[in-house]
Amino acid sequence: MARPPGVVPECRAVSELERRLAAYLAARLPGASRVEVSDLVRIHGGASRETSRFVLRFERDGERVERRLILRRDPPGSLIETDRRVEFAAYRAFRGSAVPVPEALWLEEDAAPLDHPFFVMEELTGLESSFQALLAPPFLDQRAKLGRRKWQILGEIAKADPEKLGLVGLMPPVALDQCWQRELAYWERVLDEDELEPQPITRAVIRWLRRNPPPPAQKLGVVHADYRTGNFLFDAEGEIHAILDWEMAHLGDPLEDLAWGINPVWQWARDGLAGGLLPKAEAIRIWEASSGLVADPAALHWWELFSCVKGQGIWVSGGREYQAGANHDPVLGLSAWMMGNAQDRAALVLLGHAP
Amino acid sequence: MQSLLAEIAPAVQPAYRQASVAMHAMLLGSVREEFDRAAARRAEENAALRALFADAAATLGDAGLRERLASAARTADVSLRVPDLDAANLTLRALLIELHAHVETLAGPEARRLEAAIWRELAASTERRKLSLSPF
Repeated sequence: MARPPGVVPECRAVSELERRLAAYLAARLPGASRVEVSDLVRIHGGASRETSRFVLRFERDGERVERRLILRRDPPGSLIETDRRVEFAAYRAFRGSAVPVPEALWLEEDAAPLDHPFFVMEELTGLESSFQALLAPPFLDQRAKLGRRKWQILGEIAKADPEKLGLVGLMPPVALDQCWQRELAYWERVLDEDELEPQPITRAVIRWLRRNPPPPAQKLGVVHADYRTGNFLFDAEGEIHAILDWEMAHLGDPLEDLAWGINPVWQWARDGLAGGLLPKAEAIRIWEASSGLVADPAALHWWELFSCVKGQGIWVSGGREYQAGANHDPVLGLSAWMMGNAQDRAALVLLGHAP
Repeated sequence: MQSLLAEIAPAVQPAYRQASVAMHAMLLGSVREEFDRAAARRAEENAALRALFADAAATLGDAGLRERLASAARTADVSLRVPDLDAANLTLRALLIELHAHVETLAGPEARRLEAAIWRELAASTERRKLSLSPF
């Protein structure tokens, strides 16, 4: 069939997706008419779901309504296999709390409407999320302020009561002295299933972690599980407006999040600052003050080493998807290669074996 | 790579495609870096692992592991083609994991000496693989 002039297949696919999304949303907007979806554009928003922004317009009670929204759709393959229901529930649970999040609106687990399960949430506009932005004005001078806010908010997440948030049940609970075992077993299994080559450093770290278990968690908290620079929205005044990418959230030891956030592989400016924002000791002090918890050095060291196992699990599973052709996002290939090596180097430093 | 990053990527829209082009440019730069050293670093590492296994085979008490280490130490790379070097490397690194786990269970200064040698080789292996783009 001849292609209409000026229309490429990708544009037709977007147009078709807009039409189907509009039909889906029309059924969920009581009293709305002339429901339209436009300007659907793919954006970077985490490597485990395809993220697009779009504009929703409709009429209700004689008024024209316009909302800028985000579509998070499951891809065929990704860095990590995650439960969209958990991510959606986490956004809803923290909405209106001391932890800023966008409004989560609709969750669809049936693949029929848009070929893959998805959810829709509010778009917060005019903000930045990339770590690269922090390397230049106007954000460069706001790094310390952002860092203080970042670890203060993480303390709020640690302090939150999962029961009151309604997340127990959706997120499987775990005994305080079993948090470490469950997480370590999970990521070891990911490595067993997905590694493309032997990982002698990560395997040595796993053995060390089993020989030197941490103390029980001080409390069972909500663990964001990917709390790092790049996963929150900030402005040029150094304020954080939303914590994103809750796709790996679970119940566990709050130290897991603190350790992940200070993982050396997030030092993009190579300046030794935790998350490229603050000295590590200051980040820990702020988290302790905000959470009311103690970051016992030995326990935190255990979780920092665990972060190297978890990181490697993420990099190798993304690398497998990329190599198999299940996902063509180049970030998966580059991460498996570059970040996998950086993760090994971080583990060597933490174990005192750096070259 | 510079052309892709500085000239082509900024002209691509939307932003997602622009970032994707930039990421491909970074991948290309990494491939260029690896191209220069690909065979050399693999051959160097395979030789280092065989030497380490020969050393361990001379001192370990476990007869089964000792024999497999000695056997691996006697192997040689069949060619300097990267797939051949990689195939040997995968086998050698898998055996290194086994050796490392075994040595950790042993007491005494000889075990600690071997363990230290294994860690030195692991540290060297990360240096061989490091990319200049790496954040750490």
